[in-house]
Amino acid sequence: MALEDYRADMERCSRCSFCKWIPLAHIKSWRFSRGCPSMEVGKFHAYSAGGRYAVALSLLEGRSSYTDKLLEVVYKCQMCGLCDVACKVCRYDLEPLEMMHELRARCVNDGQFLPQHVPIIDNLRKENNMMMKPKAKRGKWAEGLEVKDLTKEKAEVVFHAGCRLSYDEEQCKLARTAVTLLKNAGVDVGIMGKEEKCCGGRAYDMGYQEEFNRFAKMNIRAWTNAGVKTVVTACSDGYFTFKRLYPQAGSNFEVVHIVEFIDRLIKEGKIRFTKTIPMKVTYHDPCHLGRQGEPYVPWKGVERKIRAQIKIHEPRKPRYNGAWGIYDPPRNVLKSIPGLELVEMERVREYAWCCGAGGGVRQAYPDFSSWTAGERTEEAKATGAEAIVSACPWCERNFIDAINMNGGKMKVYDIVELVQQAI
Amino acid sequence: MVPFKELPKDAYQALEDIVDSENISQDPAILDSYAFSLNGELVSRDGSKFMPRPAAAILPGSTEEVQAIVRVCNRYKIKFKAFSAGWAFVGIAAPFEEGMLQIDLRRMDKILEIDEKNMFAVVEPYVIGTTLQAEAMKLGLNTHLIGAGSNCSPLASACAGAGPGGDTIFMGYSPQNLLALEWVMPTGEILRTGALGSGCGWFCGEGPGPSTRGAFRGMQGSSGGLGVFTKCALKLYPWPGPAVMPVEGTVPAYNSPLPDNFSAYTVAFPGWDAYFEANYKLFNAEIAYNAYKQYILFGEELQAAMVRILTDPTKQLDDLEELLKKPEIQKLTEKMRRSFQIILAGMTPRDKEYKEKALDEILASTGGHKVPELSEPLMRNWTLLYLMRLCFKNINYVWGGYIGGFVHGGTPDFAKSWYPLAIELKRKFLKEKRGLVDGGADTLVCALGSIGGGGGASAEQFTQYDPTDPESVKVALEFLASSRKVGREHKLGGGLLDWHPLYKEKMQQVLSAASRPAIFHWQGKIKRAFDPNDLGDTSWPYLEESKK
Repeated sequence: MALEDYRADMERCSRCSFCKWIPLAHIKSWRFSRGCPSMEVGKFHAYSAGGRYAVALSLLEGRSSYTDKLLEVVYKCQMCGLCDVACKVCRYDLEPLEMMHELRARCVNDGQFLPQHVPIIDNLRKENNMMMKPKAKRGKWAEGLEVKDLTKEKAEVVFHAGCRLSYDEEQCKLARTAVTLLKNAGVDVGIMGKEEKCCGGRAYDMGYQEEFNRFAKMNIRAWTNAGVKTVVTACSDGYFTFKRLYPQAGSNFEVVHIVEFIDRLIKEGKIRFTKTIPMKVTYHDPCHLGRQGEPYVPWKGVERKIRAQIKIHEPRKPRYNGAWGIYDPPRNVLKSIPGLELVEMERVREYAWCCGAGGGVRQAYPDFSSWTAGERTEEAKATGAEAIVSACPWCERNFIDAINMNGGKMKVYDIVELVQQAI
Repeated sequence: MVPFKELPKDAYQALEDIVDSENISQDPAILDSYAFSLNGELVSRDGSKFMPRPAAAILPGSTEEVQAIVRVCNRYKIKFKAFSAGWAFVGIAAPFEEGMLQIDLRRMDKILEIDEKNMFAVVEPYVIGTTLQAEAMKLGLNTHLIGAGSNCSPLASACAGAGPGGDTIFMGYSPQNLLALEWVMPTGEILRTGALGSGCGWFCGEGPGPSTRGAFRGMQGSSGGLGVFTKCALKLYPWPGPAVMPVEGTVPAYNSPLPDNFSAYTVAFPGWDAYFEANYKLFNAEIAYNAYKQYILFGEELQAAMVRILTDPTKQLDDLEELLKKPEIQKLTEKMRRSFQIILAGMTPRDKEYKEKALDEILASTGGHKVPELSEPLMRNWTLLYLMRLCFKNINYVWGGYIGGFVHGGTPDFAKSWYPLAIELKRKFLKEKRGLVDGGADTLVCALGSIGGGGGASAEQFTQYDPTDPESVKVALEFLASSRKVGREHKLGGGLLDWHPLYKEKMQQVLSAASRPAIFHWQGKIKRAFDPNDLGDTSWPYLEESKK
């Protein structure tokens, strides 16, 4: 699809501003009623999904041209997709998030990108990661871990650590724990080690679709060669990329997030908890595991009108609105840990507030990224929880950094850490 | 890039000095997000979605900043227009002239006070209905939500617009809920009305201080054309439900399992006589918490199928055609003709019992009945959520563009007199042209009953079209023109787009020929007295002095 393909969407936007709020049905307080971090910081209407429709239409019609402000409107957004969910509470004919992806892709193709993104994308092209690190050090996290090397052996399951868990020295132990859990449960698992490559999902969110396609092809080829049937990851960005985007590039692998796998192992009795963790926690739904974590459904069809002017699709077009994301498995896991008390924030599941890390925002607008995370930890604090738990290393890192910066006492965990502690 | 009229550099600098550089912009893309307008294609000069591009957009954070901005506008003779949440019909929120300053009030977003004992709230412009309702409910109170949706600003509607809604039968409509307010007048002076003007708090909009309700509201509100309303107090009403509205269900099919002191029904009638008789009886019995002819906005032929889609998260618009073929949907479609939705809320168990009995008696005496399929628990809970929280906005736009032909208010007897005209005209259009969504001839949306109005039944013939299809837009305009023609022929008055403030000369002609032109002469006097530098736009409709 190209930006022009969303022109009708742009013209059909009713400027209701649902995209600025969590679904109105779920608003419980003034304090936590907002849904769009970009709008909260950008403040002008243009920073909402509805506003971006107007900006894109203005660009397409030649009414506006590229300016620094326009690029900020385009890029100062985590692409978290809350707007997409809120819009689709009433609209069946708009795809705001898809349009925003195409708007970024258009900007990149026109050479209109952020200078802050340039070194990151250059590093991705040369070193295969988004962390500004050398590819030679990618497999360091797994040193001493007895696990199959899928560049030499074959296995049913590949564990994809992802860029952050491969390089973040504080967080990489999570990858080791995840692999150990899988091995102990008897799973035939292997890793790509230093040959593992970025999923390309973050580049896709930033508008670099060519880079995404290149990495998708490389990963699909490597897994195919290794006889892989299932891809497991502990990274929610990676999960979304493999689950939703890769099938469009020809992937047929089963994709499972580690929390789904753990939930399954607990139910099968293959993970048993022996220790109590007396702690009140709240769970943060990562955008790419929750509302954007719905499975891809292939579709090829056309639009047609019925009842004179009602636009429908032939055949029936799959609809992504956050309804079928991964929400319960992480909660099931947390509830099964002895002593752990799970309390919910006001904005959860498909209408969760974003952690702030995504869409290239952490790299380009660190203050905005940190503010967004701070808003979330404030919401977590309001529940009385001692800790905020997530299932994505990007969320975890952003929360840790925001709390360190703001001086809060909230603890931050990945679910895998708590599972390990309780075993 | 399309060139546009910019502000003089020193004026821009003066404005930037008030709000800081991050809260003002003259970037064309930012400005076009303000020029973009729902229904723009119906009214703009070039048929596009864009109204005139403002010269700059500014985000004040306080009354003082608003005042300072307005004073700069007076100094440099810059026209300005403010909006709150920013949704409006046929481009009303957008500036009508190039070179105007768009004041976006979104930074003024606080609920300043909820006076539980005296049952009112003090709000800023960017508080939306939902957030006010959510906070009020914690105290056992509720607020009127306008039919345009709970995403709209109650302040804007009460001070500068007019909004009935489903709860109008219990809470009145928005201007009736307005108490004291703070108004930055077009000159930059601040006027605090009623009790507030005498330093006595927010509890009353009239004396002991000045009452200017008639002046600043005029016939239908100024829609941003006569200064800026920065704070106001709004009446609140009893809420016999839980502190937080319980919500269940998978997106988008949310529903609200409210306790047993609530019930929700769709009640249908054998004919319009019975329907309107029930309107009167319902108003007189004072039993309804919310009553709305709401699901009809999909059209009488589609409402049953659409309700099924909206209550099942696995369904979507692409399923509509199949659903319409199902015998049970066809049966339900028949049962839902001439129906409205009603919510009863018992303040006590006895109260609830009484209200249920009274409703049954009204139905028995008028030949009405409860549509059983819509009384089932899931449907009850869905209706509760939509009527109590969302109003109809979120199901308003299922098909993109909509317009309202035949917008007339009055008693149920008055409505009864023109409903057949509206239905007949729509039927004719659907038969002869393919430009409108064919949902059936009855798409008359109506909030039932109005406090102080003898059970008023204002209604609007909702008509959907495709804003991206020029032929559909053309037919939509023809339908509006025909609605106005029929309205005039039957002495009902004109209707939507009889004139549009974008076209000043036409506006003068139409207002001069209006059945009550004195209103617009009077509004002209107000305009000249309160806005001597002519800095508001024609959102405040008035007749020029020379046109007397």
